[in-house]
Amino acid sequence: MNEGEDWVYSEIVKEHFLHPRNYLMGDEKKFDYDAVGTVGNPICGDQMRMYIKVHDGRIVDLRWKTYGCASAIASTSALSELAKGKTLDEAVEISAKDIDDYLGNLPKHKFHCSILGHDALRKAVENYRKGSPLE
Amino acid sequence: MIYLDYAATAPMLPEVLEAMHEAEKKFFANASALHTPGHLALNEIEETRESLARLVGAEPSEILFTSGSSESNNTIVRTFEGHEIFTSPLEHHSIFEAAKQFSGKKLPRLYSFMLANNETGDILDVASVVREASQVPTPKESELFEAKDDFGRELVTERKGAYVHSDLTQALGKIPVDVHELGLDYATFSAHKIGGPVGVGALYVRKGVPFRPLIIGGNQEGKRRGGTYNTVGIIGFKAALKKIAEQKSWELYDTKVRELRDRLARRILEEIPGSSLNTDLTPGASLPNILNASFRAAEGESIQLYLDAEGVIVSTGSACAAGDTRPSHVLMAKTGDAEVAHSSIRFSFGLSSELSDVDGVMEVLPGIVSRLQKISTIEMEEK
Repeated sequence: MNEGEDWVYSEIVKEHFLHPRNYLMGDEKKFDYDAVGTVGNPICGDQMRMYIKVHDGRIVDLRWKTYGCASAIASTSALSELAKGKTLDEAVEISAKDIDDYLGNLPKHKFHCSILGHDALRKAVENYRKGSPLE
Repeated sequence: MIYLDYAATAPMLPEVLEAMHEAEKKFFANASALHTPGHLALNEIEETRESLARLVGAEPSEILFTSGSSESNNTIVRTFEGHEIFTSPLEHHSIFEAAKQFSGKKLPRLYSFMLANNETGDILDVASVVREASQVPTPKESELFEAKDDFGRELVTERKGAYVHSDLTQALGKIPVDVHELGLDYATFSAHKIGGPVGVGALYVRKGVPFRPLIIGGNQEGKRRGGTYNTVGIIGFKAALKKIAEQKSWELYDTKVRELRDRLARRILEEIPGSSLNTDLTPGASLPNILNASFRAAEGESIQLYLDAEGVIVSTGSACAAGDTRPSHVLMAKTGDAEVAHSSIRFSFGLSSELSDVDGVMEVLPGIVSRLQKISTIEMEEK
């Protein structure tokens, strides 16, 4: 049983889960984005959508939405911090391990959840480069 | 903390803690030993057997102790190894997975259906299963019928085409259960769902029906289950059984607990957009202490952990572990809708639950669900 201070997750995972960064609350029109990437499917599990704002080949801002578990929320929040300000090339190079390191290790059985945000970001960059920003 | 996960494990009753604490000092001896301390320990075990038998309408000789429901369930499935086993994905994994692995084509057949579902609390019409089982013709011979005791007497005097097992783990203490009225050949029980310790279970095996021990190599339980008696745990079970029999716990569940459960259900439907119930609240249709609800566009595990952070303890059917993101097999089987299953939360009450627990949940749950719905990739339909 978890009583707040004794979670299966590390303090930093808990912090990102309870206070996620850069999520998009409500209507997506609230955020002026250049491309979006969606991965996953609620039927088979979690779903993640990443919105990116690009200027001079650099991600100047980004937001995300998810139908996902605690690990997906925390890892995507962490990823959004890591990716902000990076060039598109640098952003797609961010690995699942980088996110895991940043969060101080997710429980092993939750590692697959951290890939979700990462895949959504790559998809958004891919869509931006293809010139089909709306998927 | 608001604890609403009684269906997973109930906290140990104070009477149980006290009895076990005493037992650690008084009844430590091996209950199979012939000396006095061993004999005194065995007396305690036999009293527990009688308590459980009386409570569920069995003979004491028809009850044997196990390490818990999973062992009890596995024991019955393995008794019918190689035989037809009819069960359902709504069952606990210790039945369903075992049946998948060990069922075959031989008769007699085993039917295994739990009386009350773990996740939704739904009560099954066991009588219809018993009726169906009674239609199966008895095979002329079966290795299951051949069992004999040490004197060469036939052990299986009830030769039938099909036998019925029911997992009564979730039902015990919540509604009246009588193995004879239900028409069962086998039934599974557990101590930790009624305020006893984890690691103690029991099995009802009707006199004269086939049985094969799962653990062999000891004379305990009339050679039906080897292994040194867990005397202290069984004494804890006795204290829990005594308490539920004295207070007629099923009557309290039917009144006090039902009221709390139904109040939470009403408030969820009224106050949380996109909510729906997976439990039928009609009296008799479900256990009075379980409420399973889904929240559109909000993922169950996230709801569970945001509630946890607020000190509200519940469970979810949206397990996501070891690379397996499939939602609860029970809710999938019941609803056929992965999103409903993924967005589900089970609230389960106990006799110590109070009105303030319901109010406490409703102070935080609407905000948590609303926030998850707003960051969700799934659109909320307009009401």
